[in-house]
Parts: sequence; structure tokens; C-alpha cells
Amino acid sequence: MKLDVAIVGVAETPPMRRSDKGVRGLVIDSVLAALDDAGIAPDEVDGIVTDSMIMPTTVPHDYVAAQLGINSRFDAAISMGGAGIVCAPLQAALAIQNGLADVVISYFGVDWGTRAAGPYGFHDVYPAKKVFEKPYGFNAQPAYFALWARRYMLEYGLTERQLGSVAVHQRRHALLNGGGQMTTPLSMEDYLSSKLISDPLRVPDCCQITDGAGAFVMTSGRRARDCRKRPVYAKGVGFGSVPITGDAVFTQNPELLVIPGAKAAAGDAFTMAGVGANDIDFAEIYDCFTISCLMQLEDMGLCEKGEAGAFFEAGEAGLGGKMPVNTHGGLLSYSYRLGIEHLVEAVRQLRGEAGAAQVVGAEMGLVSGLATPDFGVLVLGGENTR
Amino acid sequence: MKVLARDDMATEFMPFWNAVDAGHLSFPVCRTCDRFHWYPLNLCPYCRGQDIAWSEVSGPGELYSWTVVRHAFDPEFWDQIPYIVALVVFPDAPGIRLVTNLIDVAPEKLSFGIAVTPAFDARNAADDPLRFRIVSA
Repeated sequence: MKLDVAIVGVAETPPMRRSDKGVRGLVIDSVLAALDDAGIAPDEVDGIVTDSMIMPTTVPHDYVAAQLGINSRFDAAISMGGAGIVCAPLQAALAIQNGLADVVISYFGVDWGTRAAGPYGFHDVYPAKKVFEKPYGFNAQPAYFALWARRYMLEYGLTERQLGSVAVHQRRHALLNGGGQMTTPLSMEDYLSSKLISDPLRVPDCCQITDGAGAFVMTSGRRARDCRKRPVYAKGVGFGSVPITGDAVFTQNPELLVIPGAKAAAGDAFTMAGVGANDIDFAEIYDCFTISCLMQLEDMGLCEKGEAGAFFEAGEAGLGGKMPVNTHGGLLSYSYRLGIEHLVEAVRQLRGEAGAAQVVGAEMGLVSGLATPDFGVLVLGGENTR
Repeated sequence: MKVLARDDMATEFMPFWNAVDAGHLSFPVCRTCDRFHWYPLNLCPYCRGQDIAWSEVSGPGELYSWTVVRHAFDPEFWDQIPYIVALVVFPDAPGIRLVTNLIDVAPEKLSFGIAVTPAFDARNAADDPLRFRIVSA
């Protein structure tokens, strides 16, 4: 399939730990701002696509349609969280290119900064977790990824400083951006003396917790030329998964140190886009933790297995490096809205709107979304790539 | 934290805890393809066989990975931090990785592959989880 769909509007609410607006209000704000960014009126929207697990239970499509007066002709949901966000353009393209919709919106928001159980609550949907994990205090993402990180250090020789270099580089990007939640510098010395959360992971190895939302607007490549901003094209979308349940995936995946679905999703996205890993100018990686950022780069083929830590340590993931990673500071330092901020940032980079953190000459960017056992990859191209 | 009451858990999870109550460690194995799987499922995830047996593990397990949790993500664990969460593998149940706690050991003493064994005697009630200890040399 050849994609002919463009992202013509993006927006996000300001990153912050706690907002008194509520997640529905935040989503509506971001959708309206994204439509304004595109120069498209709300009543021109005729399609909605989101993830299929989190948004349907918190900010369902009917609510957004009712608030904005959207007469929907196409309504779809795919995967969950981050993987759903980056795969939304695939469903939008299927609708737009087949005449089922003209303007499709996608959105994602969370209120995990204010909600009592925070990011940990939704794991209660998994039955084995309550019986075999929570009684041992194995109840939160930092502990899951810590088990991977320690084993990974043994098998691939990853060092503490290499993990730290991910956090340090991304903090530098967040300060250049200026709009993220983290506003103070982080040196390697700061990192090495920071508080351990779940060994070997420290506070700066873990993503932010955020109240906020983001949204984007998609239409045909043809209509995109008439919108307010420079169009950014969805060149390739890949979805990958493995047959393992969400509660077993962190401990029972036979290949425990391989990100499920990453290789397949990247392969499909590159094939659809007709590009290779070497064509990617910058990447926005789902960095829920430093360790998962490194593993994704490797398993998508952007670095050799076991070498992403050295890639960061050598500065190749920084601005001016071979392939800048998480140019806004990522989930680690900018905000954690499960990757909608990654998609927004990639579009801004390809429009040349990224300010002090602009990747010079950026034409092709990659966004990854992790939602174990699902994985999504989106390859985006600037206006010269249509 | 207590293990979910037997009546509230999926039926395919119960044989593990019934065996623990009897002082044994056992895991589901498919009689058709002989492969172990974890967590318990009604169909073998490898061959879709429906004839699932439970096989007792005889020897100690080996430490595959671990973390020292130093933050109470769930307020119920405030009085327990720091605690060790371990991932344990068993030579006679390949494919199983068991999440547990290691007790009576300092984190500095841990290393990959050391022998660990279930501490059945540390359970005081039927809804206590099954923690492990390292096997003393």
C-alpha cells in the first residue's frame, strides 16, 4: 500500500504534572488547537481514530463528536496507548484514500498526574498480575523495566554511564525546547548521584508523569496543499505484536531483551515508505525509560544490537549527531502523554518549527510507539517528500 | 500484600497456589508438546493443546534478574521498601520465569545464576505469597 495522507495540523496542551482541567477538557483544547493549526473548521471533520484501550474509556469518540459538532462518517481505534497513536495514520489513510472520510482527527490525553493510581492503575485489567505479581510489590513500570535493564547490562555490557547518557542528552534537548516539564540541567555527575527508584534505574531513567493531551489532523495529500501550514506526509506505518498477554510480556517473553513487535513494525514502515534506516534524519522514540529507548533503537535496526548505549555516549543521538533522538526531551524530560508529544514534535521538526532544537535539513523522521506487546512505527516526511 | 482470594482468581491460576499450600512448587506443562508456559492458560500457547498438567519442580531455581524497589508505587508497600523483586528460572521447568521476593539477604550478596529456593516456612497464612531465599553455600 502506498500512503497518500498528510498531517496538516498538530497541537498539544502545555506539559505539566497536574492540571485542573480534566482529561476531557484537555483533549478538547488540543483538538480545537490542532484544527486551528490546520485552518480547518470542526464541522469539516468526518472521521475519528484513536487507540482502542485508553481513549475509549476516558475520552470516547462520541463525547468529542458531541462537543465539536462532528458528523462522523468513519470511526476507528487501533492498538493501545503509544502504539495506537502512531498507527492512527494507517486507519486514517485507509479511510481517506478510499473515500470514506475527508478530514480525520486523532487525539490522546491522560490525567495520570492527578489520578490516584497514576500510571499504574490500568494494569489492573490484567488478571495474572493480581495473582502472581502485585503480592510481591511488582506493581509498576520502573520495576518491570529494571529487571530488563539489569539482565541487559549482563548480556550486552551496557554501563550505568551509557544509561545515564540517554537521560543527560534528552535533558539538554528539553532545555533547548524550553516548553517541557524538566527545566533544570542534568549532568552525568547529577545522574550518577541521583536517587535509585528500582535498581539499576534512577529517577532520571524514568519518564515524567503528566496531565495533558495532544491531537493531530489528517487529510489527503491533495487537500493538504491548501492548509495553513506546510504539510507533513505519513510515508509509512508499521504495526507489530507477538502472541503474549499484557501481563506476561514483561517477564515471560521467550526473547525477554527484545522489544516485542519492533522489528516487524519498523520493517513494514520502512517498506511502505520506501526508505531505509539510513534515510532517517531524526527519531522520536517511546522513551518511557532510558533502557526501553535503547532497546527500541536496536530492535528497529537504527543501531546494532547492544550498541545504542555507545551511540548515545558518543553524542550521536544529540543535535548535530548522526541521528538526533527525542529532540524535545522525550518522555523522560518533556512530558509523558504516551507519545502524542512525539508525533507533534516530529511534525514541528519537519515543518522547521522546532526553534533552538531544530534538526537542520530534517526531511524524514521516525516516531515509535511502545505498548507491550504491541509496537507501532510511523515514518514521516517533509513537504519535499511527497 | 495478600494473594487474591482463591474464589476471586481465575480457575487456571488455582493449582499453583493449591500446590504452594501443600509445600510444593509446580508449573503448567502441555501433555501434547511437553512445553511449559507461564502464566497459566487454558490452552497451551505453543500447540493449542487442552491437556495441561502441573509438574512439580524438584531442585532450587536460579536468579535470572532482580531489582531493589526503593519507592512505594503502591502505598501499601511503604513499610516494606526497600525490597527485592527477583525473576527466577528453573532447570526442570524451562520457559518459566517466576516473579518473587528474595528475603533474608542483602542486595550486595546477589549475582546472576545463584541458587534460590522457596521459603514455604515464611508463609503464615493461605493468602501469603511465596517468597524465596538464597541457598547457603
